[in-house]
Amino acid sequence: MGIPVQNPDGKVRIFQELCKGVEGCGICLHVCRKKLFKPALTLNRKGYRPPVIAEQESCTSCENCEIFCPDMAIAVSGRTGKRRVKT
Amino acid sequence: MTSERVRSGRYFMMGNEACAEGALAAGCEFAAGYPITPATEIANRLAKRLPQVGGAFLQMEDEISSIAAVIGASWTGKKVMTVTSGPGISLMSENIGFAVGVETPCVIVNVQRGAPTTGMPTVGVQGDMVQAKHGSHGDYEIIALCPSSPQEMFDYTITAFNYAEKYRTPVFILSDAFVGHMREEVTIPEAKTIESVYRKIPSQGTDPQSIRGFLDEDIAPMPIFGRGFKAHVTSSCHDQAGKRNLIDLSSLDLFVRRLSNKILKHKEDITIVDGNYAKGDVVLVSYGPVARSASAAANEAREAGLPAGTLRIATVWPFPDHEIEKMARKAKHVIVLENNLGQMYPYIKAAAARFTGVSFLAPALIGQIHDPEEIVRKIKEVVQ
Amino acid sequence: MKEIVHPLRRFVRPSVVSSTNCPGCGNGIVTQSILRAIDELAMDIDDFVFVSGIGCAAWIPSPFFNADVLHSIHGRPLAYALGIKMGLPEKKVMVVSGDGDLVAIGGNHLIHNARRNVDMTVICVNNSIYGMTGGQAGPTTPAGVETTTTPYGSFENPFDISRLVIAAGATFVARWTTIHPREMTRSIKKAIRKKGFSFIEVHSQCPVQFGRKSGMNGSVEMMEDYRKRSVRVEKAAGFKEEQLKNRIVVGELVDIEKPEMVEEINRIRAKAMRRPS
Repeated sequence: MGIPVQNPDGKVRIFQELCKGVEGCGICLHVCRKKLFKPALTLNRKGYRPPVIAEQESCTSCENCEIFCPDMAIAVSGRTGKRRVKT
Repeated sequence: MTSERVRSGRYFMMGNEACAEGALAAGCEFAAGYPITPATEIANRLAKRLPQVGGAFLQMEDEISSIAAVIGASWTGKKVMTVTSGPGISLMSENIGFAVGVETPCVIVNVQRGAPTTGMPTVGVQGDMVQAKHGSHGDYEIIALCPSSPQEMFDYTITAFNYAEKYRTPVFILSDAFVGHMREEVTIPEAKTIESVYRKIPSQGTDPQSIRGFLDEDIAPMPIFGRGFKAHVTSSCHDQAGKRNLIDLSSLDLFVRRLSNKILKHKEDITIVDGNYAKGDVVLVSYGPVARSASAAANEAREAGLPAGTLRIATVWPFPDHEIEKMARKAKHVIVLENNLGQMYPYIKAAAARFTGVSFLAPALIGQIHDPEEIVRKIKEVVQ
Repeated sequence: MKEIVHPLRRFVRPSVVSSTNCPGCGNGIVTQSILRAIDELAMDIDDFVFVSGIGCAAWIPSPFFNADVLHSIHGRPLAYALGIKMGLPEKKVMVVSGDGDLVAIGGNHLIHNARRNVDMTVICVNNSIYGMTGGQAGPTTPAGVETTTTPYGSFENPFDISRLVIAAGATFVARWTTIHPREMTRSIKKAIRKKGFSFIEVHSQCPVQFGRKSGMNGSVEMMEDYRKRSVRVEKAAGFKEEQLKNRIVVGELVDIEKPEMVEEINRIRAKAMRRPS
């Protein structure tokens, strides 16, 4: 598929090229229970500003960011809860 | 086809009922419609007969959902049909364009009646001829057959199904209240003598991403639903894979041209005409029930020593200009006979006028089939 | 090294990378809720045939979903869906379209298919506006909103879509908003499993067209507004009519049993085949 992903070893993976920007959207910043998202310093190739996540360790895997992202640009690994299929 | 589908034998049958029997003999599995005079008998018969052969007929809430339901069912691989009259075709027009654009086989029966608008429901008129070709917006081709008798209501319905499947297109049966309601001898042949065509589909297990299910002038295989082909069927302009393209003019050009060429390229195979004329004849060009009158008039004229011949067009669309031209080169004069104000006449004239004189004769009253005497009078007039 | 992909990516057509939705559009939340429901049911996306009409919501399955998709003309997806169900009764037929498509131009087909109780799942994405064509009023636009075709403010009363569908006879009706994706997924799973006409209305933000015209500043504000205005159906049962004004009653509103149409047709067909005449 070839969609680049930020911090592939972290819990919260952001596909920054799919993001449509924290200014126009910004839903992930709002729904994260720990307020871990911040706007990135650089824009993606389409000119949108994706989020970045600094303290991966504070993430509780609530999966809000993954579920609410309208562009499927965030994936949370190591989920809890009754999940069915893997990647 | 089972014996339940094909009830071989000789019958005294109404045109509309023969049409329904033709649909069953052709393999129709699903039909939907809305009651409308003078077509309702077809719906009634299909409602009774289709469940007997494992199919179904649904009366929908309007004509729009009727044609939509048959398009949906066609995409599941079923042979389908809808029946209506002029007002219903008007409602269906947008969906007919959709069926053309995504290349969906289906048969549409229009039992024409007095028009425009509500008009006169129980009188036959040939008023929807051009609507069959241009009823929907945009450039496109269509196939339309005109039966002249209850026997042809049976035979041409089978032909219509076969054309629909072969060319992946809606096919019209342009009948009218006279042929629909007339009763005559109809022979339903043995099932094994009936040709049954089914659309090309991709082989089972084909990689969905490699399927090119649209826009092939030699008719692309239809990626029907439920087989894992992951078809993307869109009413938007699309490419051969069904992928939407709303930007490139080259894509629109391909879309428009390929859809039309798919029919035009095979025009000669599709065309059915019945020519009975010789060089120097005044040729009577007609279709549907008017052709019966034309035939009688030509016989009468010949007996009176006048040079008369007939050309009956059974497929009015795609327009058989090649047959008109062939005839016009030989004809002394052409008289176009239609039960309307001249719908096919301009097309016939455009093809024939280079070679010979062309006139139009409507019946004495719109809604009548021409009296053969009127026609003979016109022939005499032209010969002078 | 194994490539990292979003867990629902396998349901997406390989040739499609991203959607054409505006930033922050609620369609994307509905998309994930649907795909997550299919995932949680451990179903194959090829168990479904998707049908959509015209409008932004109709682009949820088309071309995104990697399955049989019929993207048809405006207002008619329910009619095609019925034909498809007749031809492939074993498949799950799902219609995903917008409020204008399903309730305005398509309103007649909505009430009749609900009445018939045909086995299908219908997701009606209600953004209270005609978004794709630039922001015109629709039958769910609140009175007073200025849109491009109601520049002096809309003077019509809006539908309560779920109430309409319940009155028409649907056997499962639920309403959620894009602030309730998990509940939405749960209802979608139920709808898919249930035999009958299942209808899920989802209030979804259109920040670019409706948001601007109604004075909202972006998706987050609109979603928080949904949260504030939502009231669960169990709680709303005790409310008077005036208390419900401007509120969104969410939850599973109706879940009843009735004979389903395709089953009835099969019964009739079996009878007809036994004694043809």
